Amino acid sequence: MPLVELKDITKVYGTLIANDKVSLELNKGEILAVVGENGAGKSTLMKIMYGLEQPTSGDIYVNGEKQRFHDPLDAIGKGIGMVQQHFMLIEQFTVAENIVYSKEPRKGMFFDRTAAIRITEELCEKYGLYIDPREKVKNCPVGLQQRIEILKVLYQEAEILIFDEPSAVLTPQETNQLLDTIRTLAGMGKSIILITHKLNEVFAVADRVVVMRHGQVVGNMPIKETNFDELSFLMVGRQLTNTVIPEVEKGEVCLEVNDLHVTGAGSKEAVDGLSMHVDRGEIVGIAGVSGNGQSELIRAITGLLPAESGSVKINGIEVTNLPPRDIRDSGLSCIPEDRYLWGCAREATLEETCIMYLHNKEPLSTGGWLHKKKIHSFVSETLEHFDVRYTSVFQKMGELSGGNAQKVVLAREVMQHSPFLIAAEPTRGLDIGAIEYVHHALLEKKKAGDCVLLVSSELSEVMSLSDRIYVMYDGRIAGEFTRENAVEESLGLLMMGGKLNEA
Amino acid sequence: MTSAYLISIINSILRMTTPILFATLGCLLCNKVNVFNIALEGQMLIAAFAAISVNYYTHSILLSMLAGVAAGGLVGFIVGVFQVKLKAKDMIVGTSMNLLVSSFTSYMLYVLFATRGSLTGNGMVGLHKIPNFPESMPVLYGMFKNLTYLDVFGYIAAVLIFIFLYRTVPGFHVMSVGLNKEATRSLGTKVDMTQILAVTMSGILCGLGGVALCMGNVVIFTEGMSAGRGYMAMAASSLAGAHPLGAILSSLFFGTAVASSIALQSYINGQITLSFPYIMTILIMAVSGYIKYRRENRHHIRKGKTK
Repeated sequence: MPLVELKDITKVYGTLIANDKVSLELNKGEILAVVGENGAGKSTLMKIMYGLEQPTSGDIYVNGEKQRFHDPLDAIGKGIGMVQQHFMLIEQFTVAENIVYSKEPRKGMFFDRTAAIRITEELCEKYGLYIDPREKVKNCPVGLQQRIEILKVLYQEAEILIFDEPSAVLTPQETNQLLDTIRTLAGMGKSIILITHKLNEVFAVADRVVVMRHGQVVGNMPIKETNFDELSFLMVGRQLTNTVIPEVEKGEVCLEVNDLHVTGAGSKEAVDGLSMHVDRGEIVGIAGVSGNGQSELIRAITGLLPAESGSVKINGIEVTNLPPRDIRDSGLSCIPEDRYLWGCAREATLEETCIMYLHNKEPLSTGGWLHKKKIHSFVSETLEHFDVRYTSVFQKMGELSGGNAQKVVLAREVMQHSPFLIAAEPTRGLDIGAIEYVHHALLEKKKAGDCVLLVSSELSEVMSLSDRIYVMYDGRIAGEFTRENAVEESLGLLMMGGKLNEA
Repeated sequence: MTSAYLISIINSILRMTTPILFATLGCLLCNKVNVFNIALEGQMLIAAFAAISVNYYTHSILLSMLAGVAAGGLVGFIVGVFQVKLKAKDMIVGTSMNLLVSSFTSYMLYVLFATRGSLTGNGMVGLHKIPNFPESMPVLYGMFKNLTYLDVFGYIAAVLIFIFLYRTVPGFHVMSVGLNKEATRSLGTKVDMTQILAVTMSGILCGLGGVALCMGNVVIFTEGMSAGRGYMAMAASSLAGAHPLGAILSSLFFGTAVASSIALQSYINGQITLSFPYIMTILIMAVSGYIKYRRENRHHIRKGKTK
């Protein structure tokens, strides 16, 4: 008998069928991967299983008993725990306080914080997941915060752990640690559901895989009986095209950075005497473990962070420390790394987001008057052209899925037809189909004779798209490669602060 | 200034602090659950009116106090339901509530007692005074002269609230509501109910403040007698970083401002000195607002980096 069984789950939101007669089962000690593109209905299904949503029809069985979950507490009561994609942590509290929340140890009428620390230590010991119980959560890096979430679920005595796109926010190293943890937990008899769209993770840990598309289960097989191509075909519903790198004649220098110094948070020298250039007709990648000054470099180029010294030139124009709008006017557009912090406002409509920066330029406005009709047709065309899935241009950005929101930002920046585009982590959190789309758009940009600076912590992405690659370590350029001489091992070594043996 | 004068000022500071301290404690509870409550002023005024009205008819200290606390709590509850459950805009709810209470009390003063301006006399009773030091110790005697049990209870309440928030499990949950509503909800805490209870509790505390105001030194109700103390409490809570023990100090600061503005009238033009506490309120709000902005902005920049 399977531990958990979902039978014919259907969930309808208005006219949208998020889940259409979905059935799946989970056995004890098994790692089940649920894959599918964004919007395929994976998250809805898991929310139903965790009691956050009620199914329109269909049943849930745990240990053969029919269940009705009204809220997460019911699900937790049956041993189902969820490690949410957006951490549900109270940052100002300590690790221990977060872990014991809602099942606090008490001494009389008081909260026994000493016991909470002891409990946390025991939990860490038992599962081999170490963390300082006294540390404030806000001081923990993202990987550790996720560990707290996992410990929290384990403290609730969950036997079934649902991981909702757990690696979306992690660095590659943190992801590896996470996969190890998942394996360990399964080895200890826990049953795990891993929701993801990263197939390499599926092949790394899963025993079985369920593929979802358009709210339906389109595949359910042991991992040994499938392969990468079959899964991606099932997920996307079509064959992925191979990326073809267009040959483009190199043009003149477009971005020139000279001996740039930028102070980051905590008055640390985040960018430390960096020089680089990007020429027309090329895609230049910056590889590096995140936190090595890439963010500060981009923000200094785009005018969001003051440069201490050095110079930035775009198209030969000195733009160092100019206001962001002036820098953009000199021929820059930028897909920022955090799309909700720098790229758009969650509360803004699609229309407003699409015209930001262009709103006070011809033909969308003259002399401070917006031309509503022109804006409307411009926005519809843009969204159409970039295949954004939306219901109305007056939808709020926050209502779109991550992939669609990123497409809107990408569309806006590409539609500016500027000679120089910065793309920072352009595919973070996106599914295969959307990633392919973004890559295609960047290559189109190159084809048009413009240039792209691609900053990404996904080494494979940098290596497949870039004509030239800079490795950034500790605020400096640690090495430069061309497409021809870029080898993963040497890049990886430089990224970790090592030196190449030139001999 | 003679030392006797100084002693009398300290005595006055202690008495002036009490209503502000209660309101500040109420305000910080709202801060802790992240509800912006500007109806503290109205909560105090309605309590003062209710207490005096019941006092007028019953001459009972206990019933008057209960009436004040109930009235303040009721207004707090209404504000809580409107802002939390019905998602009404805090500024609008608070401002209208203050205006409503202000005109309602004036109106009822006329309807019930056929008087305008103020109500006093008629054998109304004041709060019990605490036992004082003997007159042979003039300094202590002067400082603690005419203090009521409520004056003392204010400080006890601050300590009790500190213990509740920082040492008990329910207090832990209350604070988590203000820090991260979504996370708290996902962990099974009833967020809306906690917020409404906290605002109601702020009404009850302001109610005690209102009672201290009208039945402390002199037993009287005057139209608009809360005189901006609700707003001072907001500044005081902000200055204390919403910490209950800090609230004691910041309330004493504003109590000093009020007391000295009265005392200094004999030296400087009264209009100027009377505006002193309000100038302090604006200054403190501006300064603590700026510090908070700086702190949050720094956090923001750091967040941008680590993401």
